[in-house]
Amino acid sequence: MLINLTGSKEVYRKNKGFWRVLHLDAWIIFSVLLLIIASSVLIYSASGGSEILLQNHLIRAGIAFILMIFFAQIPPSYLKIIAPWIFILGIIMLISVLIFGDTGKGAQRWLDLGFFSFQPSELMKLALPMMIAWLFSHEHLPPSGKKMLLGLFLVGLTSALIIIQPDLGTSILIAMSGLFVIFFAGLSWKWIISAIALIIASTPIIWHFYMFDYQKQRVLTFLDPESDPLGSGYHIIQSKIAIGSGGIDGKGFMGSTQAHLDFLPESTTDFIFSVLAEEFGLIGVILLLSLYSFIIARGLYIASKAQENFTRLLSASLIMTMFVYVFVNIGMVSGILPVVGLPLPLISYGGSALLTLMISFGILMSIHTHKKTLSQ
Amino acid sequence: MPKTHYNPRPERVSQKKILKNRLFFAMGFVLFLFFILIFRMSYLQWVNYDLYKSMAEGNRISTEVIPPTRGRIYDRNGILLAGNQPVFVLEFDKRRVKNIEQTQVDLAKLLPNLPLSTTERFFNQLKRYYNARPLTLPINLTEEQAAIFSVQSHQFPGVTLAANLKRIYPFKSNLAHALGYVGKINSQEMVTLDRDRYRGTKIIGRTGIERQYEDLLHGHPGFQEIETNVRGRIVRTLRTTPSTPGQNIRLTIDIHLQAYIESLLGDRKASVVVMKPQTGEVLALVSNPTFDLNSFIGGISQKEFNKLLNHPYKPLINRATNGQYPPASTVKAFMSLASLENSVITEEETIFDPGYFMFKGHRFRNWNRAGHGIVNMKAAIAQSCDTYYYKLGLDMGINMIHDYLYPFGFGRITGIDLPTEKAGILPSREWKQEARGEAWLKGETIITAIGQGFFLATPIQLAKSVSILANRGKIIRPHLLKNKIIEDQGHIPIKQHSHWENVIQAKVEAMHGRRGTGRNYTRDINFQIAGKTGTAQVFSLHGEEYDAESIKKALRNHSLFTGFTPVKNPEVAISIVIENADIRAVSVAVDILEFYLNKISHPSVTGENNAY
Repeated sequence: MLINLTGSKEVYRKNKGFWRVLHLDAWIIFSVLLLIIASSVLIYSASGGSEILLQNHLIRAGIAFILMIFFAQIPPSYLKIIAPWIFILGIIMLISVLIFGDTGKGAQRWLDLGFFSFQPSELMKLALPMMIAWLFSHEHLPPSGKKMLLGLFLVGLTSALIIIQPDLGTSILIAMSGLFVIFFAGLSWKWIISAIALIIASTPIIWHFYMFDYQKQRVLTFLDPESDPLGSGYHIIQSKIAIGSGGIDGKGFMGSTQAHLDFLPESTTDFIFSVLAEEFGLIGVILLLSLYSFIIARGLYIASKAQENFTRLLSASLIMTMFVYVFVNIGMVSGILPVVGLPLPLISYGGSALLTLMISFGILMSIHTHKKTLSQ
Repeated sequence: MPKTHYNPRPERVSQKKILKNRLFFAMGFVLFLFFILIFRMSYLQWVNYDLYKSMAEGNRISTEVIPPTRGRIYDRNGILLAGNQPVFVLEFDKRRVKNIEQTQVDLAKLLPNLPLSTTERFFNQLKRYYNARPLTLPINLTEEQAAIFSVQSHQFPGVTLAANLKRIYPFKSNLAHALGYVGKINSQEMVTLDRDRYRGTKIIGRTGIERQYEDLLHGHPGFQEIETNVRGRIVRTLRTTPSTPGQNIRLTIDIHLQAYIESLLGDRKASVVVMKPQTGEVLALVSNPTFDLNSFIGGISQKEFNKLLNHPYKPLINRATNGQYPPASTVKAFMSLASLENSVITEEETIFDPGYFMFKGHRFRNWNRAGHGIVNMKAAIAQSCDTYYYKLGLDMGINMIHDYLYPFGFGRITGIDLPTEKAGILPSREWKQEARGEAWLKGETIITAIGQGFFLATPIQLAKSVSILANRGKIIRPHLLKNKIIEDQGHIPIKQHSHWENVIQAKVEAMHGRRGTGRNYTRDINFQIAGKTGTAQVFSLHGEEYDAESIKKALRNHSLFTGFTPVKNPEVAISIVIENADIRAVSVAVDILEFYLNKISHPSVTGENNAY
């Protein structure tokens, strides 16, 4: 299966010269373009045909695309050199946000640098996996226990700084990006299983002492959305109605009554998947998930072909982080996970998350195309 | 070298192989979770398709909030002080508007006064708008424009005239401080407010009565279940729970009296409180200069707000409740009562006033350098003899002064029904120890006795205290809400009624007597006032700074007056503070009381009948 999805070696070889010179990967470019087209269609439809929104989205996607190509040109060895410095910079920014940050929407996530506002946690989505991969890149894998603990400490520190902003969703996602590096570096299964058991065991304690009321409320409504049909459970119920009423083949383009009659909240951002499911049905859902599977498989393939530990760990972590986005978002809108505000990668309307994801694709392509010729 | 316990297998596995295994595992994990998602989607979209399809179609019923109408505020005679004015807007249902360009042209022809840039922007927005809910043109139509449109509305399919309510204050700047204004609910308030009660509401009381009685004025929202067709148009209303409008409230204020006083004051910095002494009903609560309440509705511009905020006269401060001034000679009547009731002195005892009072080598001057000669209590009040009170204060001591004046309401808030009020300062040994960390000095007792030094009072406190005097000891609580139920406030303990009557008679003497300080202003009136003038030797509102230009004017003394009339069965009590006065408070007071008795209290009766 993996071979089928990622192999296609002939195509790759045929175009190898051309794509390698540009430091691009045909499969990734192709899939990303498909996703951007899908997202443009869905944003236009979900907004009830807003040309302004579509125009903004295309401009952002264009900028993100250029950034992706730009990052593909940066050799991974440069990234490795700057990794620790970027990480330190990110930590300083996170601390500054806590001290000077703007309390936009009730959470201090934004840092106002005078000419533009900036979310340091967005930088950390790349900086943390780069840092941990750098940490493990100087010796044979799996790394020593000390290094593992140091890696875990850095993950804990970063997510702690984001969790007190407070931004639980992003904090979990960033923690995952670091933990993936540790996982791929070869943390033994014994430890992984013990850690998972520990987390499950400590859930009641976290619930009682460390969760905000709004977070508890989200979990409670998730467990029983009908308990609060006009409050926070409303979103989940309406999203499920949108998805379910789409059926196998959907209501067709611009056919989402749930979005157009304003029953569906945030229909261009967090809940855009429900619009897809309503308009294009189960077929559309399966097509989108196949496209995501393909990109993930391609990313993992790139990781397997990477030449050193830094690039291997980084590329595997970046693509798996994107997977977490996909799974959490779809799980949330379909009612199998609690509502955490995460966008659907490359589909949801919105700026900063799109930029970060496209930059990670740039890094993936750079890793794949900057190889020492010796190994050829 | 990796430690062995991280690699349980005895033989070393190459790192490349570990990674490959993990990558394969990851891909398997991804596919596994994606299958769960597809399984979930099939359950929703395939197995339960019929259920959700019918739910989506049933989604034609939506609940809309009907925000409550805010209660109106009236004065004591039922004259509207704060009301709601309908403002008309146009709503566009894009699906029913046939030709947008044509509609725009027709509308411009019909209502040529609509601002072009706004309509242009709006129609561009409408062209790109596909939502089923109507879009509102962000312009408030005048009543005339609304009438013109409603006649021609058949020419505009999809465009409907809708009415919203806007808070309006017909008296503009009269009573601005006490009435207060409403403002848009901000995000901080959103958090603390009762979500259900404020659903659909955009405004909330910010200051004054609007804030104090927010709970009464707001009301409760109603709900309407609306059935729409698949295109989102309203087919019919299924069920309506009407909103409960906020209560209309009536104030104790007489707006005509209020407006008259404000017109007398011009642009002076001043405060006047007029009150019914027996009940504490406030008839007028003036703080000057004032501002137009309507400018705060619909959002005041930052520039305009800063202008009010930084104006040297501080028009936004309610001087009547938050301005603290030395009460000056207006406290002399209370000092007299304190000394009589505590048997420190009798009415007949006299002192000789050479124009100053000597204490420990320090000379405390009388306002009249020539001195008043031999004065008894009555003459001391009538002529406002400082020397007499210097001695009296020293004889009483600060403890006795404090303990006697405290029940009159000095040094603590009066409890008037407004959101903010200052307590003033009634100095005492304990107060000075706590506030300054210093011991009390006897010289400070001397100046406290003439209402100077640390002593500070607000105009509402002055009105309350003189009302208690007018009531012969019955304590009241000033209030603005008519028919407010106020618990019994108690009574000042009285040793001898004649003490009170004599002090009051001395205040009458001050206004009408041959040597009274107010005699020049009462010659032309045909009723009697018990009053006391005062001159505060302070620059302005406590602790304020001045720029060089205004210093000359600012150095003028404040002029004060407290009093009541009629003397026997008092109907009205008054307190006035004019900052850096160019006219005397007593002259304003006489005008106000005359206006009140002739125009308001007994409008149909001729002036002679009010004579005493």
